[in-house]
Amino acid sequence: MVLEQEIPRFASWIGLAVLQYLAAAGVAAFVAALLTWLAQAVGNGPLAGGDRVYRGVLAGLADILATSPRRVWALARLAIQESLRRNVLVVLAMFALILLFAGWFLDPASVDPRRLYVGFILAATNLLVCLVTLVLAVFSLPADIKSRAIQTVTTKPVRTAEIVLGRIVGFATVGTCLLAIMGLAGWAFVVRSVSHGHVLDAADVFDVTDGEGAVSGAEGRTSLDRGHRHRVVLDGRGGGVAETAHGHRHRITVTGTAGSGERTYAVGAPLGLLEARRPLRGRLRFLDREGRPAIKGISVGAEWSYRQFIEGGTAAAAIWTFEGVTPERFPDGLPLEMIVRVFRTYKGNIEDGIHGTIQVRNPTSSLRSESLPIVAREHTIDSLLIPRRINTVMADGSLREVDLFADLVSDGRIEVWLQCLEPAQYYGVAQADFYLRSGDGSFAVNYAKSCLGIWYSMLICTALGVMFSTFLSGPVALVAALSTLLVGQFRDFIARLFTSQVTGDASIVPGGGPIESLYRIVTQTSITLELDPTPAVQVMKVLDTVLLAPMRLAASIFPSLASLGTSDFVAGGFDIPGDLLAAHGAETFGYVLACFIAGVFCLKAREVAS
Amino acid sequence: MAQATSRPESRRDASDVVVETRNLSKVYRDFWGRSKKTALKPLDLDVRRGEIFGLLGPNGAGKTTTLKLLLGLIFPTSGEALVFGRAATDVSKNERIGYLPEESYLYKFLDAEETLDFYGRLFGLDPEERRRRAAALIEMVGLTRDRKRQLREYSKGMTRRIGVAQALINDPELVILDEPTSGLDPIGTREMKDLIIDLKARGKTVIMCSHLLADVEDVCDRIAVLHQGELKELGRVEDLLRVTGVTQIQATGLSPAAAAEVKALLERHGAADIDIGNPRTTLEDLFLEVVRDTEARPGRRARRTESAAPRAE
Repeated sequence: MVLEQEIPRFASWIGLAVLQYLAAAGVAAFVAALLTWLAQAVGNGPLAGGDRVYRGVLAGLADILATSPRRVWALARLAIQESLRRNVLVVLAMFALILLFAGWFLDPASVDPRRLYVGFILAATNLLVCLVTLVLAVFSLPADIKSRAIQTVTTKPVRTAEIVLGRIVGFATVGTCLLAIMGLAGWAFVVRSVSHGHVLDAADVFDVTDGEGAVSGAEGRTSLDRGHRHRVVLDGRGGGVAETAHGHRHRITVTGTAGSGERTYAVGAPLGLLEARRPLRGRLRFLDREGRPAIKGISVGAEWSYRQFIEGGTAAAAIWTFEGVTPERFPDGLPLEMIVRVFRTYKGNIEDGIHGTIQVRNPTSSLRSESLPIVAREHTIDSLLIPRRINTVMADGSLREVDLFADLVSDGRIEVWLQCLEPAQYYGVAQADFYLRSGDGSFAVNYAKSCLGIWYSMLICTALGVMFSTFLSGPVALVAALSTLLVGQFRDFIARLFTSQVTGDASIVPGGGPIESLYRIVTQTSITLELDPTPAVQVMKVLDTVLLAPMRLAASIFPSLASLGTSDFVAGGFDIPGDLLAAHGAETFGYVLACFIAGVFCLKAREVAS
Repeated sequence: MAQATSRPESRRDASDVVVETRNLSKVYRDFWGRSKKTALKPLDLDVRRGEIFGLLGPNGAGKTTTLKLLLGLIFPTSGEALVFGRAATDVSKNERIGYLPEESYLYKFLDAEETLDFYGRLFGLDPEERRRRAAALIEMVGLTRDRKRQLREYSKGMTRRIGVAQALINDPELVILDEPTSGLDPIGTREMKDLIIDLKARGKTVIMCSHLLADVEDVCDRIAVLHQGELKELGRVEDLLRVTGVTQIQATGLSPAAAAEVKALLERHGAADIDIGNPRTTLEDLFLEVVRDTEARPGRRARRTESAAPRAE
């Protein structure tokens, strides 16, 4: 799977993030108060306007602080009842229909059925849950205001904060229940859909003899099911495995002997299909073709610079340094898994793959293991177990067997070197492509974690919908919320506009800020051309610097539901890291809190009975 | 400004004042802040504990605007409104208020029990208390048989009744009723008026607004007459309605001869415009008597009592 950015430890950044959040909230509050004061000053004069703003802010804060959980729950219950009476459960029937159609149209014989099914079901769940809660949230409060039912609520000892929070909690509860049901049904559907079996007939199994003619085992192939079959390798006693195909394998056991004297076999459930790998990822660096350290690998012209390439038949290497490597964690050796992409400058034998080597090295003593051969096959995760006892290459070129952890691991650190052997062919790798498999989580738990990501999205949709509904009519609030989410989807793209794609330096804005960009457009000046440092250009750059700060803030303020999605992890068979879930949780909480406070002040400033 | 005529005729102890407005005015504006309509011109009012106060006026006179200002549903353009000594925008005052809006704006997807349970929760009543009060109020407004039906299935009168019930769920000290008899049949109207009088007997303060003069006259202790957003008249009903210079004599068992003798006597004393005849009942009383008699003797034609008989001029 693609992991463009390293997932930092939650504790390492949350403190600073909270401070930045508070600073941004302070700026936003100040700007909002200033605008409100200007509006009030026009009608009531500057002093009276200031007094009103002051009182309004105090009343709003008092409202929030005096929020009663009992009344919030009363209003949340009302929102739940409203949703149920509006037949929100119909959405479950729609989901059932989606599962039905998915069962018909999704191809279980695809190369990667887990990705297909998990991706589709989680996307459908995400869309339905978010859309339903958003629609419920945006139309509820405006409907109350229009029907004036809000008047019988606001004339009770109910604070504005309780009205806003009650709705958020109520609709979020509805969304949570829907998500729980859909998540459970979706998980059962995925498990049932990808599970399959094969038949291994004795007629398809052939004995394998050793050099002396003795039978050492057997080989064969399974029946063709779900568009694939497996090569089978059996030991002398008949047990063995069906080798990896379509991302999984099966265990083979002998169940008995038929009347004809031939063995009968049982092919077990697919292994490795519904898994949640826990990778230990390292840090990647490169050596160029001369063996000198390089910041990046070679660009083969792909616009997407996620993967860097190393040239075959040269000293170029991709080197991962792993930390926290201990014998307790990896008692059987290092289970290395890798995704190696290939860029061919000539076709060669397309069936054969591109040959290369793996070495492990001690980062301190530079003691290195013998080269372990690999063949890079596109689109598959290759695995290689680096054993505890391994040969190392001595200075005189001789081999000596050493203990992996005693001799090649230094302070828990070890290096893994990848090199391509074939000249004029290239290996493409990214930092996340090599990892040590430090264990497996439960697929069901991982699926639930992904549903937690959907839950975060649903919370943001609900809070956003309620916030807009405090000052807009239902349809307009829906459009506003959808627009906000749509812009949020392009948040990363917009953020990239501020970063130089050439150097990756965030401080260099390609083409300058808005004024410089406009100047370049009008004068048709390329962004690569430096402008003469005339006084006018200097002024332009200073103004741009001032303008860019709020633009950066505005570009990052929109919530991106896509960034909260974790279905790629589940679909790729990787365990969702706790740090990522915590980061998404913190981001969600930030948005919900901001929407809540904004909603309170918007509704409080509004005459609900006018 | 209407202060000259609107000052209360006698001031009592300040703690006795439940509602107080000072220079309270409201101008509705459009999005751009331009004045759209002056709904209420500066208004000074005091409403005292235990009285039934009526706001009277034609449609658009500013009655409902005044009530909304008192409830904090809208914000004053100038002046202030105090309820129980607190600003009208102070939410905590609502603990002691019951409000029946003009159209019983309730949640149509709830049934009667759910409605009262919901509003009871907003007052923080415990479950047992909520159940007890809801059952009592539903019985009081006569909706026991319909308590499980969603409000969307209710008639206007039934909606009004459940509206009254929700207004009383917190046993309020101050009850604010906006057009309380609107949409009610004569029986419902009478029951509503009886309820208002009963609330007063229980020590509650009631503020109601209506454009139905008979309703206001029947139940209110004091009234304020509003017209075009301006206070035109304020005082006790009996004082405002007393026609000075005209004497009314009522008697039973007077024969025509005796009536003629009384008339002659009055003429001898210089009385003018003498009118001797039978007083009129009201149509409401007549209707209620017919209904009660029909319920008491089903299938029979209504039997009229003497007091409800048509006047013989």
